[in-house]
Amino acid sequence: MSGTEPLLSVESLTTHFHTEEGTVRAVDGVDFDVYRGETVAIVGESGSGKTVTSESVTKIIDIPPGEIVDGSVTFDGRELTGLSDEELQEIRGDRISHVFQNPQNGLNPVYRVGRQIGEVLRIHEDGISDAEVRRRVVDLLDRTGIPEASSRVDDYPHEFSGGMKQRVLIAMALARDPDLLIADEPTTALDVTIQAQILRLLEELQADFDMSVIFVTHDLAVVSEIADRVVVMYAGKVMERGRVEEVFEAPAHPYTRSLIACLPGRGSAMRRIEGSLPEATDPPEGCRFHPRCEYATDGCASGDQPPLYHVGGDGNRQSPAPVGGDADHTAACVYYGPAHDVSTLEDGGDRQ
Amino acid sequence: MKWYILKRVLWTFVAMWIALTLTFGLISASPNPGQMRATMSCAAVGENPQECREQFRERNNLDQPVTERYKNYMVNMVTLNWGWSESRSQYVIPAILDAWRFTAQYAIPVLVISTLVGYGLGLYSAYKPYTVTDYTASFVGFFGISIPNFWFALVLIILLGTRVELVPTYYQSGIPIQQGWLSLANLRQLILPVTVLLTASLAWQMRYSRAQALEQMNAEFVKVAKAKGASQYRLMIWHVLRMAAVPLSTSFVGSLLAIFWSGSVIIEQIFAIPGLGLMTYTAIVEQDTPLVLATTLVTVFLAIFGNLLEDIAYVILDPRIDYGNR
Repeated sequence: MSGTEPLLSVESLTTHFHTEEGTVRAVDGVDFDVYRGETVAIVGESGSGKTVTSESVTKIIDIPPGEIVDGSVTFDGRELTGLSDEELQEIRGDRISHVFQNPQNGLNPVYRVGRQIGEVLRIHEDGISDAEVRRRVVDLLDRTGIPEASSRVDDYPHEFSGGMKQRVLIAMALARDPDLLIADEPTTALDVTIQAQILRLLEELQADFDMSVIFVTHDLAVVSEIADRVVVMYAGKVMERGRVEEVFEAPAHPYTRSLIACLPGRGSAMRRIEGSLPEATDPPEGCRFHPRCEYATDGCASGDQPPLYHVGGDGNRQSPAPVGGDADHTAACVYYGPAHDVSTLEDGGDRQ
Repeated sequence: MKWYILKRVLWTFVAMWIALTLTFGLISASPNPGQMRATMSCAAVGENPQECREQFRERNNLDQPVTERYKNYMVNMVTLNWGWSESRSQYVIPAILDAWRFTAQYAIPVLVISTLVGYGLGLYSAYKPYTVTDYTASFVGFFGISIPNFWFALVLIILLGTRVELVPTYYQSGIPIQQGWLSLANLRQLILPVTVLLTASLAWQMRYSRAQALEQMNAEFVKVAKAKGASQYRLMIWHVLRMAAVPLSTSFVGSLLAIFWSGSVIIEQIFAIPGLGLMTYTAIVEQDTPLVLATTLVTVFLAIFGNLLEDIAYVILDPRIDYGNR
């Protein structure tokens, strides 16, 4: 990571959805930073709030029913949560762009792909000539690995395979050379062989375009390959943050430990976390994970989620990490706070 | 695509030929009211009914073999020699040429207004769903669909025609001839028919376009477009409406025919507009076979031609349609 000021700083972000079943607290006080040039992975199960977090940054979520209730999103020194839709439109696709999960439906079927990529340029560059748009679109397709880009530019989306469509969507996201790319499960809907290609492409392009990446995924194996830092989410809360090596070598939060133990080739085979994700309309008191946590104490079931505590290398108890803090390894678990013995977890960890 | 369109055009001729042949078959199989009338009038003045019948058949070439009659019929149809209308005492083609303008003068505005305003309102409803505007539009829409045209027309005549006397209670066909089709007087007497027809067709267009637009708005590509920085206007028009236009294009002929059949016959009867609807009605009541045949065929050809346009619009609007093998 380079630079001292983060490119993107998300602090106590809280996003709710007002539905007929009640208020869904999809994102419930999330903090993390993204520095220039680095890749931050947001990891969690389906329904953990990772996608909503990533789509709250430039408010791509539908408002209403969604609402950003609290928190701040600072991008390159500018507060985004208070901006009007017109101001956000200037940032979307220009400085912060997205790649989504499902490439099959990501392109409008009635327009040629070149026109759809060119749309980004036309939106953000007034008076750009047709020839210039075409030249740059062909160049983008070429850089994202579409063979015969100069003729493919005139094809319709249904003439592309899923992997090729995702390349087109990546080309679209990179059209304006963004500072931040938010990739939401960009490989989940693809074949395994294509997945690896797309991941490699994203890594190459990140270096080429010198951009930061937020990589949203449920796939820990992917995280370990491409991310610098990782944010583990559960039921709308951050459970643990840290450098990838730290989190994978020494997972601190019991939830992260269980997740990593579930990876093939790690821990015992075919492990699963007992229980299921809590209802988003009615999350449990205290630590969101306590109903499924084997180390939960009575104290875990009341109050709010514990703050993010530093995970000391020697198991020392430390004060809560500063909000929106640095790249230190932190976990939202009482065992890393005062009056708890972290070795209880260590013992348990050995047992697994 | 050229070949596809050419093929479709050829098919419309086949469809027209089938329609013409079917009507010929039906007419040949059914009793001839002219022959019945001729026979009866002979009997009334004491002549030999049998003889009169033969004379009538000979005069109308009914004594010829079926193949000969079919050949003559087709030649007549193609050369626009569609016969003599007893009830109007004129040839059928001039009768239609007289009548169609009276229908078109309200049907075309209804079609254009209901499409533009209906799609506009539907799109806006979809853009702000479940708001007061949306609910109001839905209420007005269901009201328009639910109330019968004839009842609504009568209520409007009573309220606006007799109580307030804002508009004439019936249509005077002399006005467009003497003062011009676009004269104020003519436009004024068209207000009620257009309003009545609009309530139903506009509501229908609005509900349908709202449903189609809502479906497209949840599509992934709309989210992608939003992430590109597209404005709300661009999202709704360039992406949502453009996609919704594909299914919407297929509803066009349906609404056109609805105006013609369910609309015009009733409306023209109520307001005494001498258009195709009223002509159809009188022709049926007076058993004027050539005229019934003509009005039916006009509608059938309208449907065939409309479907041709729809099919062409469909392949132009949606590049995914594979027309290569059809």
